[in-house]
Amino acid sequence: MRFGAGLWCLQSTATMPRHPATAYRELLEDARVMDRLGYDSLWLSEHHFFYDGYCPSLPTAAASVLEVTENLRVATGMLLAPMRGPEKLAEETALLHERSGGRFELGVALGYRDIEFDGKGVPRKERVQRRKDVLHAVHDRVPEVPVWLGSALPEAVERAGRHAHGVLFSGANPLSLVRDLAAAHRRGYESSDGSRPRPRVAALRNVWVTEDAKERAAVLDWFRASYVLYAGLGWSVPQRGQTAAMDFRAELDKALDDAVDTAIIGSAEEVIDGLAEVAAAGVDDVVFRVVVEGAPQAAVHEVLHRLAEEVMPALREVEAA
Amino acid sequence: MRIGIRTRPGREAADARSGEQHAAFGVLIEPGPLTAAVAGAMAATATEVTRLIVRTVLGADHPVTLAEDLAVLDNISGGRVVALVDTGTLDPAAAQEELSLLLAALTPRPVQHRGIRWQVPAGLEGHEAPERIEVTPKPVQLEIPTWVTGEVAPQLGAHTDLPVLAEDPAACDRRRRVQPAIAQLSGDREADRELVSRWSDAGATHLLVGAEDLDTALPEISRYLIPEVAMPLFPRVVAEAMTPRGWPGPARYVDPPAGA
Repeated sequence: MRFGAGLWCLQSTATMPRHPATAYRELLEDARVMDRLGYDSLWLSEHHFFYDGYCPSLPTAAASVLEVTENLRVATGMLLAPMRGPEKLAEETALLHERSGGRFELGVALGYRDIEFDGKGVPRKERVQRRKDVLHAVHDRVPEVPVWLGSALPEAVERAGRHAHGVLFSGANPLSLVRDLAAAHRRGYESSDGSRPRPRVAALRNVWVTEDAKERAAVLDWFRASYVLYAGLGWSVPQRGQTAAMDFRAELDKALDDAVDTAIIGSAEEVIDGLAEVAAAGVDDVVFRVVVEGAPQAAVHEVLHRLAEEVMPALREVEAA
Repeated sequence: MRIGIRTRPGREAADARSGEQHAAFGVLIEPGPLTAAVAGAMAATATEVTRLIVRTVLGADHPVTLAEDLAVLDNISGGRVVALVDTGTLDPAAAQEELSLLLAALTPRPVQHRGIRWQVPAGLEGHEAPERIEVTPKPVQLEIPTWVTGEVAPQLGAHTDLPVLAEDPAACDRRRRVQPAIAQLSGDREADRELVSRWSDAGATHLLVGAEDLDTALPEISRYLIPEVAMPLFPRVVAEAMTPRGWPGPARYVDPPAGA
C-alpha cells in the first residue's frame, strides 16, 4: 500500500481565516514534513472564483512543492481540465516532470460548477471533449507522467482502467461504493491489451489517529465542516446502484452524516484495521484526508507523524485485493 | 539605478537563487509563453526577497487564467511578483483588451468584461449565472507592478500609462518613477561599466541584464556593476580596491553541540 495526504486547497475560510499567503507558506512546511516522514504523495485540489481563495492554479502550486522536496510525489486531485488550455497544461506538466525528476502526477476532472465554466467561457457540454484534448496533449508531450481520473460512475471508472489511467475516489464514498468502483476499474484494465502496467486505485479516506475523546469530537466536527464547504461549492454525489445519493443541496444534514460516517478515527490499531478493509476493497493507495476545515497545522502535523510512525509501517506490504 | 538579471530557460530557480546572492534586485523569468508561472514558482521558493519579473505573454491563454497564475505566484512568493506583459503577436486593440481584462481580474473588485475577444462571465450556463465573477485568490500586493513589452508595447504604454521596457537608452522616459530596461552584457568589465552607466544616465531605474555566461557574470555584476550605478560619482578607490579573501569556513555558522 502507498500513502499520501490531502487535499491542499490553499483556502482562507470564514471559519478558519488566515492570510492567503500563509496558506502557501504552510503548504511548503507541510510538504517538507511529509517528505521527511516518507509519505509517497501530496495531493492538491482546484476550484475557481470562490470567496476563500481556493487554489485555481495547481501547476504553479505544485512547482513550489516540488522545488522544496526531494522524494515526495505531487499529484493534482483534481485539476479541472476544461479550465486550462491543453497545450499550456502539456508544457507545464513536462516542465514539472523534468525539473522534479519525474515526481509530478496529473489528476484531471471535468468540473461541475456553472460559474467556473461561465468565468472561463467554456461551454459545459464541451467539458468531456476538453478533458480528452488535455489528455492527448499531455500524453503526446510527456507520456510517462501518471494520469489519474476521478469519478463515481462505474462505466467511467471502467473506461479509465481500460486506458490504463489511475483513479482517485472521493473520501465521501462509502466503502461499498469504493469496492464496486475498484472492481469496475480492474475489469476495465483486464479488458485492455495489458501492454501497460496495471493502473493504481487511490482513495481519499477521512482518517485520524487519536485515543482522546475530545480530539475525536473535534475531528468529527472538522470532517463535517469540510463537507459543508463542498456543499457551498455545490458538490453532490448522485445515486449509484445500491449506493444512496449524497445530496448536499437537498438533504444537507443527511449527506453530511453519511460523509462523516466514512471516517476511520481511533487508535493506531483501529486505523490499521480500518485501512486493511480499504485495501481489501481494492485500493492500492490511501490518501489521508487530514487537511480539513478547522484542523490547525499543528494537529495536521501531529496526525501525519502518528500515521507515518504507527500506521503506515504495518500496511506497507499489504496489497490491494 | 538598480540591476537585475535575466534567468536562463531551464535554470530559473538556480539562477534566481544565485542572482539573489549577488544582490540582483530582481530576476526575469521567461521560460516560454506557457510556463512562466510554473518556472516563477520554482524561482520563488528558491529565493527569499528578490523580485520575480514574470514575462506574461498575452494571447497564449485566457487573461483570467493568466491573472489566477500571477495571483497564486504572488502568494507563493509573499508579494514579490512584477508582471512583464508581453504583447506577443497581438495587434494593439487585441493587446489592449487582453491587458485590460488581466488587470481587472487582479483587482479586488468583481469582474465583468464585455469585449470583442472575451466575455466574462460568458453567460453560457443559464439565467442564474451571476453577472460578475471574483477572481481569487487576490495578490498579496495592493497592486502587481506591471510593465509592458513587445511589438505594440509603446501604444499600450501610451494608452495605459504603464512603464514600457526600454531596449534602447533613448527610449527611457525620465518622467516615470519606474523606467525598466533590458540589455545584454559583453563580458568585458570596462565596456559593461560604460553600458550600465549609459543606461543610468538615460534615466532607467531598473535594468535587467543578460549574459552569455551568467555564472561568470554574476560576481562581476555584484562587485562592479551594481555599485557603479548605485550613486553618482561612485568612489574609484572602492571600485578599484582589492576584493577581500573569503572565509574558508561553512556558509552558515552552526552552534557546536552542547558539552563539546
